[in-house]
Amino acid sequence: MKQDQDEFYVGYQPKAPAGIAGAVRGTVVLLLLLGAVAAFLIVREQKDIAAALFEFGVVREFEGVIAAKPYPMLRVARPDAAGDAEAFSRYLLVAPFKFGADPIVAPFDGKKVSLKGTLIYRDNKTMIELAAEDALREIGGGVGDKPVSFGEVTLKGEIVDSKCFLGVMNPGELKTHKACAVRCISGGIPPVLVVRDGEGTVKTFLLVDRNQGQVNQAVLPMVAEPVAVTGELVRLDDWWMLKADPESYKLL
Amino acid sequence: MSLAYQAVGWNRQKKVYDGWLAVGILLYLAVFMVLGAVLFPSITAETLLIRGFGTASFVLLHVILYIGPAARLFPRLLPLLYNRRHMGVSMFVLGLAHGVLALIQYHVGGDQFPLVSLLTSNGDYASVVNFPFQLLGFLALGILFLMAATSHDFWLANLTAPVWKALHMLVYVAYALLVAHVALGYLQNHAAPVTTALLGLGVLGLFGLHAAAALREGATDKEAEADNGWVYVARVDEILENRARMICAAGERIAVFKYEGKVSAVSNVCQHQNGPLGEGKIVDGCITCPWHGYQYRPKDGASPPPFTEKIPTFRAKVTEGKIYVDPKPLPPGTEVEPALIQGEGVA
Ligand code: HEM
Ligand code: FES
Repeated sequence: MKQDQDEFYVGYQPKAPAGIAGAVRGTVVLLLLLGAVAAFLIVREQKDIAAALFEFGVVREFEGVIAAKPYPMLRVARPDAAGDAEAFSRYLLVAPFKFGADPIVAPFDGKKVSLKGTLIYRDNKTMIELAAEDALREIGGGVGDKPVSFGEVTLKGEIVDSKCFLGVMNPGELKTHKACAVRCISGGIPPVLVVRDGEGTVKTFLLVDRNQGQVNQAVLPMVAEPVAVTGELVRLDDWWMLKADPESYKLL
Repeated sequence: MSLAYQAVGWNRQKKVYDGWLAVGILLYLAVFMVLGAVLFPSITAETLLIRGFGTASFVLLHVILYIGPAARLFPRLLPLLYNRRHMGVSMFVLGLAHGVLALIQYHVGGDQFPLVSLLTSNGDYASVVNFPFQLLGFLALGILFLMAATSHDFWLANLTAPVWKALHMLVYVAYALLVAHVALGYLQNHAAPVTTALLGLGVLGLFGLHAAAALREGATDKEAEADNGWVYVARVDEILENRARMICAAGERIAVFKYEGKVSAVSNVCQHQNGPLGEGKIVDGCITCPWHGYQYRPKDGASPPPFTEKIPTFRAKVTEGKIYVDPKPLPPGTEVEPALIQGEGVA
């Protein structure tokens, strides 16, 4: 076997011959540079990160009226409300980890409460993760709500769990998040249909069946896949809700 | 030449090696985490850590797989192989951190046991693009664990070199699983052309390096022709003093050394980690393995006392300036009279 110079080096020797030492040093420097460049190229392409936020560790107090159906929500009177169109904002309510808040809010349905929790928000949609203990306190009676129907529509989008999507995880959608979305929806987190208009506008629609019942278990096989849903569009204060039977959803 | 399992003990060179390894890993993670947090302020710490550790591990795996064939092409890079096992263990630890964090983030805190959730909730076994990519990462991690756990010389000695080598060849299975893990997972999220191109380059580069190294060694690997039982190796003047020529004959890889006017042939395979003795050199009268410096006497293939390793030897002869060997291996440690080079003017 021929070599340019007959240098030979075994790692336990204290010092490598000049040619070998130079080649190794050069390679190490090259590898460090390549590693840093790779890190740069890979990280700058993480464009699946949304402008969404979870105020992890910050517990705030809220006041409003509980609407336990179809999914737990807190209705909060808007201070700036003119007329009655959207006089209330709705905050979706969920429990810690990957669980829905249904059992916690059920006894307070229709009642005015003071509530402790952590904010999760994305665009103009807001959610509250209830504090782990004594999250709700009754402080009075509430007002009824009045859903407004907007007729039949067909919408195309992706079914995700509202909690991660609104900010607890980022990305909280797409293939890599599928497993988690399945866990969350299965655990009671409200499923939403995310619809994009291709120009940056993202809208979310709460999914319920024709009787306004929860659809968590039925949508599991279609989570994080492109689907088309045809159903009745209904407005609940500042949230949209889509009433359709999950059997009629079409995978695209 | 090992006493117990201490032959490749700690020394300054290993510390330097590990120091630079640590610098490399920390540099990668720092660039990734800092830039990630600056470019995407709303990214969660979990995502940053999961992606940082996962990609760091995968990039390091490329380095590990590349330096093998690279050192065969450019023997001066052999020192990079010297402590490669620490690279392997570091790569495993990074992969483990990534996998455990991903398992916690995506599967813990729900209505299902996390490992069951891993198997049931992230994809569709009947589909290709929707295949549960996390399972592929999990399987790869299992292989990397086996390798990291058996990387110590203790296992090498107890599993025997061929079994150990076979086990460590599984790294290529793990690599294939991880390529699929990335291609069917993260790359399905959104268009990431640069990352996709990097992955393609990574795979092609590995094939390319292996092909180049195999081509280079083609001459050695091609079965040499036997004449009357003797196989031609090379002309005496084609081999440098104290160096060897490797040939492959009758299924044996043989290293033929020239030194002090003599020629000796031994097995090319080092007893330690199957290092290529033919790329070694005779130092202080002993064939010295280029990987970790195990030594064998050329005339009988035995390590000098107190060491006890022995490799098979072969008979060699020199006629008219040409070297021949008999490819029938003699039992390890058999003494063979070296063939003398006459009239070649070599002292
Ligand atoms: C239990 C085992 C594993 C699990 C559960 C797992 C899970 C995941 C998940 C969920 C993602 C997507 C992350 C995201 O989009 O934020 C991912 C991506 C990735 N994983 Fe793994 N993984 C495992 C093992 C491994 C191993 C052993 C390696 C490498 C040695 C690895 C390398 C990667 C890489 C390079 C990516 C894509 C790049 C990125 O995250 O941006 N994974 N893995
Ligand atoms: S000394 Fe380790 S392989 Fe030869």
